[in-house]
Amino acid sequence: MISRRTLLRGAGAGALMVAVPIPALAVEGLVPNVFVRLDDAGRITATVPKPDSGQGVRTVVALMVAEELAVEVGDVTLEQAPGDSAKYGSQSVSNSTSVRQLSTPIRTAAATARCLLVTAAAQRWRVPVSECTAKDGAVRHPRRGRLPYRALVRAAAALDPATVPVTLIPQDQWRLLGKTRAGRVDARTISTGRVKYGIDSRPAGGLVAVVARPPWIGAVPDTIDDSATRAIPGVVDVITLAAPADGQGGVAVLARSTYQALKARDTLKITWRGGTPAADSRAWLADLHAALPAQSPITGLQRTFEMPLLAHAPMEPMNATAHVRPDGATIWVPTQDPGRIQTLVAQQLGLPATAVRVEAAASGGAFGRRIETDQVQEAVACSRRVGVPVQVLWTRADDMRHDSYRPMSVHRLTAEIGQDGLPVRRAHEVVTWPLTVLPIFSNPALIKASGDHFPYAVPGEVTVTVRPAPLRTGFWRSVYSGQFAYAEENFLSEIGRRAGLDQVALRRTLLPATSRLRNVLDTVADRAGWSRPPAPGTARGVACLEEYGSAIAVIAVADPAARRVLRVHAAVDVGVALHPSGVRAQVEGCVSDALSTVLGAQITVRDGHVAESSFGDFTWARIDQSPDVDVTIVPSDAPLGGLGELAYPPAAAAISAALAGDTPVTGMPIGTDVG
Amino acid sequence: MARYLLRVNGERHEVDVEADTPLLWVLRDELGLTGVKYGCGVGLCGACTSHVDGQAARPCVRTAADSARARITTIEGLSRDGDHPVQRAWRELDVAQCGYCQPGQMMAAAALLARDPDPDDEAISEALRDNVCRCGTYPRIRAAVRRAARIMREER
Repeated sequence: MISRRTLLRGAGAGALMVAVPIPALAVEGLVPNVFVRLDDAGRITATVPKPDSGQGVRTVVALMVAEELAVEVGDVTLEQAPGDSAKYGSQSVSNSTSVRQLSTPIRTAAATARCLLVTAAAQRWRVPVSECTAKDGAVRHPRRGRLPYRALVRAAAALDPATVPVTLIPQDQWRLLGKTRAGRVDARTISTGRVKYGIDSRPAGGLVAVVARPPWIGAVPDTIDDSATRAIPGVVDVITLAAPADGQGGVAVLARSTYQALKARDTLKITWRGGTPAADSRAWLADLHAALPAQSPITGLQRTFEMPLLAHAPMEPMNATAHVRPDGATIWVPTQDPGRIQTLVAQQLGLPATAVRVEAAASGGAFGRRIETDQVQEAVACSRRVGVPVQVLWTRADDMRHDSYRPMSVHRLTAEIGQDGLPVRRAHEVVTWPLTVLPIFSNPALIKASGDHFPYAVPGEVTVTVRPAPLRTGFWRSVYSGQFAYAEENFLSEIGRRAGLDQVALRRTLLPATSRLRNVLDTVADRAGWSRPPAPGTARGVACLEEYGSAIAVIAVADPAARRVLRVHAAVDVGVALHPSGVRAQVEGCVSDALSTVLGAQITVRDGHVAESSFGDFTWARIDQSPDVDVTIVPSDAPLGGLGELAYPPAAAAISAALAGDTPVTGMPIGTDVG
Repeated sequence: MARYLLRVNGERHEVDVEADTPLLWVLRDELGLTGVKYGCGVGLCGACTSHVDGQAARPCVRTAADSARARITTIEGLSRDGDHPVQRAWRELDVAQCGYCQPGQMMAAAALLARDPDPDDEAISEALRDNVCRCGTYPRIRAAVRRAARIMREER
């Protein structure tokens, strides 16, 4: 039952607006979140509070609203919510929570609208509500016929929702949710090139800014000679940018067109000072090794793993557009958190949050990078100075060389092995860096909580030593789980191989009989034909993970001699798969990340700067390396789980184990020096 | 600055840009064809892939001056109503995640199918291996190219 004040009547006379506060995120004072709106013509509009960076939240919102309102997905118009923490609470896309956080409030909002419409029809017909049903955008009664929603909107909006019981459509009656046929709602605009990403959002008359960034880590401009730059046609201004809290400074060149700005940047004469011009990631790796405790807590089989720096490298490079006016600002940005940007820009400009409009543009990928705000602060500083809209565009090299990287780490794993070859006690000693973009992530306990999801019945301890980060670090898909689980699963594979144990049987033995993990492991073993020996010349790897309220098991099949992954099978238990095609897509995406990082994509630092600058040297996987991916969604009665990051750690572990064959895996990428 | 007459998506456009301006920025900044995506600017990622005289090409590494006499097609001009077999196959198989690289992927696929109506996996890999998808939609891209080929054969 919802209270009367959660129901808003819209500006349009008679429009029906239904809002339910997001339970976990409700803002003090209850300003209702408006998710679903029907206008007098019966048109349905749903507000998507969180941005879509490819994870599919817009599609799931449309499916939920269409399901509960008994219409087709095409009948629902989506509006992307602007940044507004006061209205929507957290709008952060992080920790694989989008669908989990939104499913109850969005479904309830749409179901409330349906129940009000049905009640209004029943009252008009003077029949019991129980005899009426909603279908295809109308309320129906066996004898009275049908009333389209548009004829009921005014009456429904006049009802007191506190008197109307709200019921969700039961799962066994779903037409849309959980069905494989539903595709992405933005498929047509994507396939015709009409999606407006952040990079496409510069208003007419706006300027483009390209920033000369520090040539080595931590450098700041000492002297700047911009006389040649300012003389170039099209150049409007040159602005020195102070380093924002979670970024680096630089010198911005503002020009009328992108190419003018790009070319003009190269004419700046800047000398730099400070920073670490001799920094080298090989030395950083040595420092992490040196920080391992002198002695492990136990003795036994031991293996040390090295994990590299990784860049996010979304296809759409970092960018943000700002129009700062004396009394307010408008921001267009592909972001994972428009609400946070509204707050930060308001602080930066000394304005009330309500004076800052943040348009959450579509993102060309994010992977954790767009939780940050450095590019927005740059755009705001530029526009504040010139008073017209300014788009700050990072080149690909800017994006790759000035990222917030996944931290390097060293993992020393030790196992006492029992007589049957199974591990009986374990120790996992981790040395890594904090996430500099969020200072609480320097706490070893928090890093351990992020990374340690060891699911097997082997007692032991995990210790985390945190060394100061020598460069900017941040959230990368799966966060620390990507390093921890990779080391743990590869070590378990080595233990199994040494004892001649079957890798699936070994894991089954160490998992509780009725667990979700054992269920997905059995399923994937079946799908992969595990009981049959691998084809000649092929090898297989297995790994599991339970995190984000979901469980997954992965089996990879590779041709080690050709360094080629042939197939990846995954079985997932996500509780309820609201959008199966989207579930599969997230697993496929994680497999691609896993393949890329295991085969060779890593960031290295030489002479103070990141050596890689584009997709030529940050060697992301291509279609010719991509295996077939077979995803099985396991029926489950568990609550709705998260998925966006779940598959990366076990996919990386399974792929590396398969590619390594009989050679122990000692880090990532395999067969390449780390750092 | 110099004036160039460009033939893009069946229309003639006169643009006034520096001779060395990459076609990418002419299409995006001057003509508003933002379906042509910037991904790397150096011909390494394929996000801007378009057709020049019917062949897949990278507007980020050709200049406006180079393109003056060419027939240029971008994703916006691939079909009148968005229903080129490649576009239909992409939607049917729900290929896209973030979608940013997909205009380039589709243009590369359409160019492939125009010269090879029945490409095998190797031909698909060869034609699309320089188009990076950071979301990892490769298995669906491969299936969608095959599907588009079938649509084209059935409708011939």
